[in-house]
Amino acid sequence: MSQIIVQAEHLHLSYKNVRAVQDVSFSLKEGEVLAVVGANGSGKTSTIECVEGLRKPDSGSVQVFGQDPWSHRREVYRKIGIQLQETEYPAKIRVEELCRLYAGFYERPADWEGLLSQMDLEEKRKRTVSKLSGGEKQRLSVLLALMGRPRLLILDELTTGLDPEVRQNMWETFRAIRDNGVAILLVSHYLDEVEALADRMLYLEQGKQLFFGSQAEFRKWAKARIAPEDLPGDCSLEKLYLQIVPKTTGITMEGIL
Amino acid sequence: MNTMDMKRFLFTCKIEFVLMVRNFFGFFFGLIFPLMMLVLFGSIFGNQPFSPGSDLRMMDLSIPGYAVMVMGVAGLMSFPLTLAECKEKKIYKRFDATPVGKAHIILAQITVNLLLTVLGIAILLAAGKLLYQLQIQGDILSIAVSALLSIAAMFAMGFLFTAVGKDAKLTHLLCYLFYFVMLFLSGATVPAMLFPEQIRKLSQLLPMTHAVDLMQGVFVGNSLSMHGKELLILGGICLVFYGVGALCYTKRDWT
Repeated sequence: MSQIIVQAEHLHLSYKNVRAVQDVSFSLKEGEVLAVVGANGSGKTSTIECVEGLRKPDSGSVQVFGQDPWSHRREVYRKIGIQLQETEYPAKIRVEELCRLYAGFYERPADWEGLLSQMDLEEKRKRTVSKLSGGEKQRLSVLLALMGRPRLLILDELTTGLDPEVRQNMWETFRAIRDNGVAILLVSHYLDEVEALADRMLYLEQGKQLFFGSQAEFRKWAKARIAPEDLPGDCSLEKLYLQIVPKTTGITMEGIL
Repeated sequence: MNTMDMKRFLFTCKIEFVLMVRNFFGFFFGLIFPLMMLVLFGSIFGNQPFSPGSDLRMMDLSIPGYAVMVMGVAGLMSFPLTLAECKEKKIYKRFDATPVGKAHIILAQITVNLLLTVLGIAILLAAGKLLYQLQIQGDILSIAVSALLSIAAMFAMGFLFTAVGKDAKLTHLLCYLFYFVMLFLSGATVPAMLFPEQIRKLSQLLPMTHAVDLMQGVFVGNSLSMHGKELLILGGICLVFYGVGALCYTKRDWT
């Protein structure tokens, strides 16, 4: 039976007057990919940061490998790899220096030279981080998340800024990682990515958990919320998602043209 | 700290030192600029007696002042500007999501800036001895205590500015403003004895002035007991500035 890696129960988190996370509960098992989806500001990153131990929930509990990530951060970080949504590194540091530095943080670091080749960054190893393109920086942050041979990977917008071919390669890599028993918590705006990788989904809206279950269950749940005349023909995850997610005001051409 | 931790920490310090050299600012103003001042003022005044018949010589008084300038570069410019930038760009946040945490990086940055201070002072002393036959009449212990307290006070000011500055821009402004005002009015570059009376009074309000007075005093052989006022002021700055700074950090979310 698969071991439970993350267990979150009734999480609540507020920033001043904003209730960012309200009663969110989910679990993640080894060898499983859980995708957290929702519109901007739905509380995805705040939820994830509670799991990462970067924020202390106001109430509720999180257990990662059976420990509270807030009070046992250092022990928990030995087993997890994190790719943050917004990451900057010292501008003048070179790629290989950053890799060496991060490798030194772990007792049994991954073969980062091999990962550099895998992430197509081998030729950039002498380049300073500030001179990398957005996609290269993204690949570097994924590489650093893998540095400690993690048993849990937390990826916040994994493939943002990557071209389609690199995205496909990245998916292949993470499928292989998952098949080796690593649990993956994935935050993504790309529903094709979620469709390709996720075993289960957590859907948030304005900080509230509206759905937690498998992809098949999500489809059923989403269809039940959509009027029959609005049901998309091919019922791809993305089309269903676009039907249920709160609509944003579109940009009009008025005043532009 | 075991051997593995120490090895890891030294490597982090090495990387931070390399970054400081690449950033140029701390490296230039901490190591090169004070030496340039020494040579410039030395070539103008030489190491002549400060006034006719005086035992005090120009360079014997100027070099402790330049040493405080180096302390100011590290404590009030290089370290706080690095800290403010890392905070704003969320560089610490990423380091915090590793087994070592952000404290490891901040400690390495402090260590490297202390190293910059020690190196800068050592270069000044060596150049002073070589070029102007610098004479240090004070005892090592008094000089070491004075230097440590002065360094701690400079870092306390920098720390406070990073804590009260709501963004890197404000921290930069506070650091630049205080550093350059103090650099010219504290007696660190030009001996305060040459200032007009009004400027000398104004200078007494600046923390760096008391570090300069203390360092100059112990260099020419004064005992620490002769500098009770300076010790008290610098000690008070450390207590209050570190205390208020720490309080600001606990009150504000800077993840």
